[in-house]
Amino acid sequence: MSVDVARAELRIATGAHTRATSWGGAVTTAVRCVLTLLGIAVVVQTLVVVEARPSDLITGIHGMADLIRRAVPPDFSKLPSAIWPTVQTLDIALFGTMVGLILALPLAVLAASNITPSRFAYYGARGIIGFTRAVPDLVWALLFVTAVGLGPFPGGLALGVHSVGMLGRLFAETIEQMDMAPIHALELTGARRIQVFTHGIIPTILPTLLGISLYRLDENIRSSLVLGFVGAGGIGFQLLTAMNLFQYQEVSLLLIIIFVIVLGAERLSAALRERLA
Amino acid sequence: MLRVRSLSVRYPNGRLVLDGFDLNVEPGELVVVLGGNGSGKTTLLHSIARILRPSAGEIWLGDTDLCALEGEQLRCARLKLAMISQHPSLIRRTSVLTNVATGTLGRHYTLQTAFGGLPRCELDAAHEHLAQVGLDHLAEQRAGTLSGGQKQRVSIARALAQHPRVLLADEPIASLDPEASEEIMRLLQRLARSAKLAVLCVLHQIELAYGYADRVVGVREGRIVFDLPREQVSRDSVHRLYISEAA
Repeated sequence: MSVDVARAELRIATGAHTRATSWGGAVTTAVRCVLTLLGIAVVVQTLVVVEARPSDLITGIHGMADLIRRAVPPDFSKLPSAIWPTVQTLDIALFGTMVGLILALPLAVLAASNITPSRFAYYGARGIIGFTRAVPDLVWALLFVTAVGLGPFPGGLALGVHSVGMLGRLFAETIEQMDMAPIHALELTGARRIQVFTHGIIPTILPTLLGISLYRLDENIRSSLVLGFVGAGGIGFQLLTAMNLFQYQEVSLLLIIIFVIVLGAERLSAALRERLA
Repeated sequence: MLRVRSLSVRYPNGRLVLDGFDLNVEPGELVVVLGGNGSGKTTLLHSIARILRPSAGEIWLGDTDLCALEGEQLRCARLKLAMISQHPSLIRRTSVLTNVATGTLGRHYTLQTAFGGLPRCELDAAHEHLAQVGLDHLAEQRAGTLSGGQKQRVSIARALAQHPRVLLADEPIASLDPEASEEIMRLLQRLARSAKLAVLCVLHQIELAYGYADRVVGVREGRIVFDLPREQVSRDSVHRLYISEAA
């Protein structure tokens, strides 16, 4: 008798389980369908918002071909006049990275929750880092061009201020993730705060800081090319001038130079970071 | 040298971890503290080093009560007190010599040391401290490349560079093999004798306590159960420290 009851209970339990499983499966399928439809809707709305017209691409091919035909061969006679803007571009990036590095390091110390001297300093530093990062470097360049005039200086300042935000955040995160035991051990020897920083924190995180800075330099070289378009000097400014004057052979020469700079900087940065690792 | 009087520590959650602790450690003496997990051994060392603030009591280092000090006065008083821990906390990327010499930073607050430099005389002295622990030949090697036992010896050399009068050792051999453990205990005993250091060492290895301690202090639930010369400590009383806690 009891065996029959047990079997009956088992049948009921199994049936309930099967029903529950089938309900669960139906819900999962419905959720998947909704998510798929949502995904399609997102893609379609981007096509509508950006007014994507593939037909224009096809009709525009003639224009592009004409542009390329007029840009070939590159005008290498303009190479000497491109050297100075190239140097300017590299120096804008270098200046911006150095300014960013110098300002970001103390800010990162204040913005690292594990070593900050006070909550007030922490939130203040986080605020500055967040603000300088949130405003794009192109906007900073426009602001500095208005403030100090055309040329490479506003470009360097723009990259410097924007780098403060980017480097400050990464430096602060690096400090927060470091092993604090050696730092506490150093504090116990009676070392002062600044000594703990220079003898403990800096040697521990230096390779990571240099790696991040090199990566930032690589990014800044790319950015400094674009900043020229808003009057912040360098090869970007020359590229804009050549395009406005329809000097497409000079444009192609400048594009080759930009390609070499970007690729060279990327390879150099990667090689140095690999050595530091 | 080191006198602890009626020391009590209560954690913020209300738990009384040390309860009226009294202890003396004289120069040249190696005192080993034994006790089960959570008995208050590490809390005792952290209170003496003033990593923790005791709830009540006094910690006399010579003529100075550490409990009465704060800020710069505490930092200065703490120079006479060095601490080594279970995991030797060295700066991995700098050399062994530099790690040892950083033990002197508390005595040298100059532009040079503030910007990452170390006085020449202290680097020379660091060689001598490394020789004391038998590692002078590794002076230029990166600290991160050393074995566990070697790292512990470097952290002892750094403690010596501090010129302390008291050395606190929190389970210094916990992560070492038996041979390295014996080596470290021999070293602590020798340093206590030769440098007239007052050494207070927390251990879990009963045999090593019998082998090297001048006195053994048994701790259970934050109270001293016995404080005797090692010859007078019975194995029974030591085992009771652990058994009664488990029961």
